[in-house]
Amino acid sequence: MTSAAVEPTPTAAPAASVIASVRDLRVHFRTKAGIVHAVDGVNFDIRNGETLGLVGETGCGKSVTARSFLQLVPMPPGIPVSGSILFRPRNPCPDCLGEGCSACDRTGRVSSPCPACSGEGCQHCDQTGLETIDLLDLPDQQLRDIRGDRIAMIFQDPGKALNPALSVRDQLGEVFFTHRSAELLDAAGIDPDTQSVTGRMIRRKANMRSRGVENLALAIPPLRDRRVALASAADGMVAAALAETQIPNPMSVMDRFPHELSGGMKQRVMIAQALACNPDLLIADEPTTALDVTVQARIIELISQLQERYRTAVLYISHDLSLVKRVCDRTAVMYAGQIVEVGDSDQIFHDPEHPYTQGLIEAIPSTNRERGRLEAIEGTVPELIEPESACRFAGRCPHTAPVCTTHDPVLEPIGEDRLVACFIHNPPATVPTEQLPRPDGRLL
Amino acid sequence: MDVTERLPIPPAPPSESALRVRARRAGELTANVLSNPTTLTGLIIILLMISMALLAPWITVPNTPDPTQMPRDWGAIAVPPGSPGHPLGTTNTGGDVLYGVIWGARTSLRLSLIVVSITVTVGVAIGSLAGFLGGRIDEILMRIVDVFLSIPELIFALAIAAVLGPSFRNIILALAVVFWVKYARIMRAQVIHVKQNEYVDAARVIGDAPLRIFGKDILPNSITPVIVQATLDMGNIVLVGATLSFIGLAEAGLAEWGVLVSEGQAGISAGRWWASTFPGMMVFLWALAFNLLGDGLRDVLDPRTETSR
Repeated sequence: MTSAAVEPTPTAAPAASVIASVRDLRVHFRTKAGIVHAVDGVNFDIRNGETLGLVGETGCGKSVTARSFLQLVPMPPGIPVSGSILFRPRNPCPDCLGEGCSACDRTGRVSSPCPACSGEGCQHCDQTGLETIDLLDLPDQQLRDIRGDRIAMIFQDPGKALNPALSVRDQLGEVFFTHRSAELLDAAGIDPDTQSVTGRMIRRKANMRSRGVENLALAIPPLRDRRVALASAADGMVAAALAETQIPNPMSVMDRFPHELSGGMKQRVMIAQALACNPDLLIADEPTTALDVTVQARIIELISQLQERYRTAVLYISHDLSLVKRVCDRTAVMYAGQIVEVGDSDQIFHDPEHPYTQGLIEAIPSTNRERGRLEAIEGTVPELIEPESACRFAGRCPHTAPVCTTHDPVLEPIGEDRLVACFIHNPPATVPTEQLPRPDGRLL
Repeated sequence: MDVTERLPIPPAPPSESALRVRARRAGELTANVLSNPTTLTGLIIILLMISMALLAPWITVPNTPDPTQMPRDWGAIAVPPGSPGHPLGTTNTGGDVLYGVIWGARTSLRLSLIVVSITVTVGVAIGSLAGFLGGRIDEILMRIVDVFLSIPELIFALAIAAVLGPSFRNIILALAVVFWVKYARIMRAQVIHVKQNEYVDAARVIGDAPLRIFGKDILPNSITPVIVQATLDMGNIVLVGATLSFIGLAEAGLAEWGVLVSEGQAGISAGRWWASTFPGMMVFLWALAFNLLGDGLRDVLDPRTETSR
């Protein structure tokens, strides 16, 4: 493996508009057969408010990359090898105090200057001058504060991602009790600074720290009224969050259990939960794979609408290329634990540069094509156990040259806002020409 | 415009409805359980037994110095059922069989409730700890459980009770020591299984702390088999307890079914069947009833054992 891969990816966009940067992420898994390099040196940026598609075949490391954002990869068997995920949380805009003004692009939230260099740009903030935290290196409490509040996630199968023992009301209320207890106390008319015994108890309840005995005490009438007020405040927030997902009849949905809801409704509940705290980044891990096609379209439309409204950046993981083409502003193509091509979705889909991307796009079944054989990429994904220093696609690539099996290609810019890891486009200077692939090497 | 503000908030419904939802669910579940005639039979027998146990001091005249001891009527030794004052007859030491049967229910209820609550608490705590934390802690705890499981239940309980000396308290203790391992095993397996569900990841994603996740997502979704097992054990424990007291590990003269059976055993060959038969029937009915209820609960609560009904 060449050490050049550690270089941060240069992106054409100004650094200030980047909400999260993945830098040389490597996650390996210990298995009986050996150490699997599931994610092996991944670099990409997610910009403010954009939808970035992450596409690739099953097992190429998409989900592991996405789950790393919230430290959800189980360790063990996972081994955190290296890398960082730099996240720049947005805080309420100082000009308008969250009201929404021109300075903050009407989102009410802006990134804050880096506390270490006060905006100069330093090592700590990846030269952006913005407050930056490394999601892979966070104390537990801080991580929990970010989860669900600043970064949210939608899962593939909403049927499995909702606790079967909780009603929708309790399921969604949880987010508000976790991250919005101050607002809840306020809405319930309880002074957040109260020092009375009952006030403290209700505050502990709002922070979900009450114990069994306290819960009993909270059932006694005078305290009970305040507890009911608290619960009603949470219900109001839950109802509002549900209403936003355009779920039919949100009031009656609140008291239902997951098994009483359809797949589409469950996914709407998941979306309501994910967007409840107006996060800066939403990770959608194949959010529509488990739904049928008609529901799929509506769910995608809903995510786009809400994203538009709150300027939430979305990392959209999918193997459905036609969907990514339609939904995502930019697309990153992943193969065997590495990113092989990043760029504007239109460009990638109309003019793919990496042979793997070309193969993938060829393989999209199209309705206007005549009946006949479906295209497929020859060969299979290579073993990711202790891979050699070589292009991972070399075994399946129609343009393989000697250099491809001896060197590891690195993501390098070609043209504006476009990165490709292929020797066709970025031949290494030190290698003799006869070992390089033909520069005009194209499929078709 | 305040973008953090959402759509107009609809008036919140009164939050008592959350309680109503729970009540509705509990109601549905109960109706489901009761729709099965065998389960219903079990439940009725259990309710009769429990009311008999609770009302014992009012149904019979309690033995004044110690109501748990059999009263002795030295004027009516080994009289058959139907004798005046002794509807179920007496033992060959003049103990009233009816008194023993009724107060035996009280003793059995006490035994099974105490043992089940201790074993479930300990078992669930240890099983949860092992399953939730995993790794070395899991390994250590489960090897301890294996040691306990390597000795047959009855013999282990017998050994402990014998070492501690013959008393009913020691039978309770012995059974508690023996029975918790089953719950630890069940709970650990459940927690490991439930822990892998995506809703646990989803809870982590919204920022829940580990303890909260355990209480909200893992415990409620893994406790069902424990409840079923506890119901079955309510019957089992009385059976094993009666065995131990039959052998003589309880105080002699205790109003307990096992003691009574052993007291009447000598008379069976002489045709005095009643002193052993009635308390024996009670043990049988008690164990049967809880098994019927436990099976019914399993059918309703545990979706994996789908019954064709």
